[in-house]
Amino acid sequence: MTAKTTASGVAYDVQGTQGDLARRDAAMQAFVQDFAKTAAIHMESCLRCGMCATACQFYVGTGDPKYTPINKLKPFEQAYHRHVGPFAPLYRLFGIGSNVNVEMLQEWEALLFDACSLCGRCTLACPMGIDISELIKEARHGMYKAGLVPDRLELMDRTAKAWGSPATPSDDFADIIKDAGEENGVPMNIDLPKADYVITTAPAELTEHTKALADIAKILNKIGASWTYSSEGFEASNIGYINGDLELQEKMTRKMIDNAIAIGAHTLILPECGHAYGAARWEAARWYGGKIPLKIIHMTEFLDEVVASGKITLKQIGETTSFHDPCQLARRGGVVEAPRAVLKALGLEIKELEDHGALAWCCGGGGGVVSNTRADPLRYKAFELKKKQFEGANAQRFVTACGQCRITLTLGAKHFKWDKKVESLLELVADNMIV
Amino acid sequence: MSNDQTLAAMLRQRGVSRRAFLKYSSYVASLMALPPSSAGALAEGLANARRQSVIWLSFQECTGCTESITRSHSPTLENLMFDFISLDYHHTLMAVSGEAAEKARQQAMEANKGKYIVVVDGSIPTKDGGVYSCIAGISNQQMLEETLRDAFAVVAVGSCAAFGGIPKANPNPTGAVAIKELVGDKPLINISGCPPIPEAMTGVLSYVLSFGKLPELDHLGRPKAFFGETIHDRCYRRPYYERGLFAEGFDDEGARQGYCLYKVGCKGPVTYNACATLKWNGGTSFPIQSGHGCLGCSEPDFWDQGGFYRPLPTPLGAMGPMLAGAAVAGAALGFGASLSARQHQKTFLAPPKSGEE
Amino acid sequence: MDLLTFARGPALEIAMAIFVIGVLWRMVGVLSLPAWRDDSPPRKGAPPAWLAALQAIFGKMAPHRTFLKAGMFTTINGYVFHIGLAICVFAFAPHILFLKSLFGLSWPALPSGMIFAVGAVTAGSLIAALIYRLTSPVLKLISRGNDYISWGLTFLPVVTGLAAASHIGARYETLLAIHILSICVFLAWFPFGKLMHAFLFVFSRGATGIRFRHRGAQI
Repeated sequence: MTAKTTASGVAYDVQGTQGDLARRDAAMQAFVQDFAKTAAIHMESCLRCGMCATACQFYVGTGDPKYTPINKLKPFEQAYHRHVGPFAPLYRLFGIGSNVNVEMLQEWEALLFDACSLCGRCTLACPMGIDISELIKEARHGMYKAGLVPDRLELMDRTAKAWGSPATPSDDFADIIKDAGEENGVPMNIDLPKADYVITTAPAELTEHTKALADIAKILNKIGASWTYSSEGFEASNIGYINGDLELQEKMTRKMIDNAIAIGAHTLILPECGHAYGAARWEAARWYGGKIPLKIIHMTEFLDEVVASGKITLKQIGETTSFHDPCQLARRGGVVEAPRAVLKALGLEIKELEDHGALAWCCGGGGGVVSNTRADPLRYKAFELKKKQFEGANAQRFVTACGQCRITLTLGAKHFKWDKKVESLLELVADNMIV
Repeated sequence: MSNDQTLAAMLRQRGVSRRAFLKYSSYVASLMALPPSSAGALAEGLANARRQSVIWLSFQECTGCTESITRSHSPTLENLMFDFISLDYHHTLMAVSGEAAEKARQQAMEANKGKYIVVVDGSIPTKDGGVYSCIAGISNQQMLEETLRDAFAVVAVGSCAAFGGIPKANPNPTGAVAIKELVGDKPLINISGCPPIPEAMTGVLSYVLSFGKLPELDHLGRPKAFFGETIHDRCYRRPYYERGLFAEGFDDEGARQGYCLYKVGCKGPVTYNACATLKWNGGTSFPIQSGHGCLGCSEPDFWDQGGFYRPLPTPLGAMGPMLAGAAVAGAALGFGASLSARQHQKTFLAPPKSGEE
Repeated sequence: MDLLTFARGPALEIAMAIFVIGVLWRMVGVLSLPAWRDDSPPRKGAPPAWLAALQAIFGKMAPHRTFLKAGMFTTINGYVFHIGLAICVFAFAPHILFLKSLFGLSWPALPSGMIFAVGAVTAGSLIAALIYRLTSPVLKLISRGNDYISWGLTFLPVVTGLAAASHIGARYETLLAIHILSICVFLAWFPFGKLMHAFLFVFSRGATGIRFRHRGAQI
């Protein structure tokens, strides 16, 4: 894998040994196969009105028109019109629309991976309701097949395949859990053969935020639930969902869910991670052909349930807070009220950001952007929007419910020498739970 | 009446005062939309006009045009005008004379070589050698060709002569054509209408007699003085059109209130004639005033414009069955396209199956 | 055959045939593609698909407040010319008669003078839209031939209609013929360009409405 630059000066990474034509063909084939009815309707519907640009933090932060969301889909769109659309034969016959070549794909790699966090704000702005975020996620399938993804994302792909998780070998999992339990004084259940709740994790919990592993355990122990961590199926963030490796997405989804079913769980708790929610709660069913015999909930939803049930009582913090809504959880996942109910239960007064809930600005790190160091300049531009909004709300604390958002915002704060601490909702609940 | 007598002399003979004559000239001048100053010239010209030889040929027609011109309600002077023309030949009026009439025609043509006016009403059949209308043993086409040879000008009176009229209407079984198809480069005036307004005919004749040339004509050869404005632009019911008040039928409240007749088929907006200003029967009324929409009778092919009671915006073609067929074809193409797309998705750039080289 | 007879006759027939064939070809061609079934459990209280679709179709008529500021011109000017076009097309007596001859339905008309004023405003609004498209860096980058052709073929009927109503430029029947011919070209182009959004918006918005409301998410 190497970092290269196109003739027009655009940086791109390339992996594998395929020739240029083979890459182009692989991308085109994947693009063409990705189109079912909804994607097709959306590709037909763009009015070139430019509203999507007004919603995208990368366009708004830089003012560069090439970051207009629909523009990021150009090669994908052309594959559709030439090969799948109702007038495709006419397109091919009259040579309408430039044919996608490998140079174009190289130029578009950064647009699809660096300048898009799959946040879906563009989808909400589009008057035609085109789900641009979803289409970009689909376009990434073709880019992966062509070996044109950011190196870091490809690296995480290989480690996920080798280790079962992008950041940590599965072999180390049990030890990490044990250490977290000991450090925080919380009894842990590891690899129980049967349990009601299976807890899954994202890379952040296994590296920077290991306390979270103990926090959830503490709450589950308190309510007397039957639960376990499982080395066989712990990885929930699903790098395949992000980098376009559809086969890996399926593999990781099945591994996690099959394992939970084998354990006889009735509930699978997803970590504080946005993409985990999208991959497991909404997309997993596509590989099971029918209903999955498992309740799949996000950590935030679990906290909301447990707080509402009255099975735990919380100390009242009595301060003001703003909340950053993780895009895949709130805007694209439908979970907006749950974290707010929990914050209120913690005695926190919520000072909403000017754009909050489903309309919140993205932290800028989703969709693999924070892992892709080439995208740092763009990510900082997005962060500036978040910083301004937080300062506008003028709250004492800043809470979120996604580990990657937390990391992204913290990195941004460091870069801009901003002294705000970004906190986790799970941690707040665990730390303020009356034992 | 001797052919050498001037009109002025003839009028004096009939006891018409010079004052009355000048009044008439002003009236005609204003009818023809000529500037006020030309009234004098018109009077001068008319006064010195010699009796004009006119050969009137009637072909595939209903005689309505002849009836109209002879019903001219204008005062005596118009009749005198008509008298002043030497009507050397007229099919209908001379029918009883038989062969003698034909001889009269040939004599008049000879005597007035290069100076006689040919007035034509009715269209000319051309199919099957023109057998569908013959007079005195020869086809209309032949008679026209003969008669035109030394004519000074041709006046096509009525929509049949000007544009083909009712005989030309779909399916045109006799191959009827307008006179203009056959006159070559002879000066031609089309006074269209079914029938034309009498004053239009006499006004044009006055002009030609007086000035010895043709009045200003539009692109269809009609005198602009009478055919320069549409009915719509001079219609007294126009304010109702503008306000959106229409009769929906012939006996509803709108009809009784005298609202615009656009919805019941009035072709006023695309019809050029003087009906809305000059009106008929000496200014008594015109179709719209009587509650019936304009038929567009002074326009070409007015019989084939979709129907007198179908409003102007109605398309001319039969849309229903055609669109149903188009819908079926479109849906079929759509299904075909999606099937082809599904197939294409499976096979496009598909890697060769293992085992194949 | 004179121009007006041609326009009202064969030209309109052919144009409408192309319109019907093309619209159905494109809509059926897209809607008959296979759909992915969403087997994930819906959010509790999620509305049925048809209702979710309707919520999106109507909900997206106005942008979210946060997008309105940056999208103010696009939104307001867009409404001005859409409503203007709708009034000119559907509230002008001759047009109502044309539609009645096709569909048998009719309704009261607005005074012609009002239609003319609306038409003039519509033409101005369309010109403003074009200027915006030509000067905005975002729109300049993403616009295609399709956008300009669709603009032109929408603008021509408005401007030729105004010319016909005011008798400017040629004889009335010629102006009327040109106006009808401009509609013929508009109809023939319609299925192949972005004018199809008139039909597509229902399905495009609806599909996203169904997806999002299934998740309990705001559209």
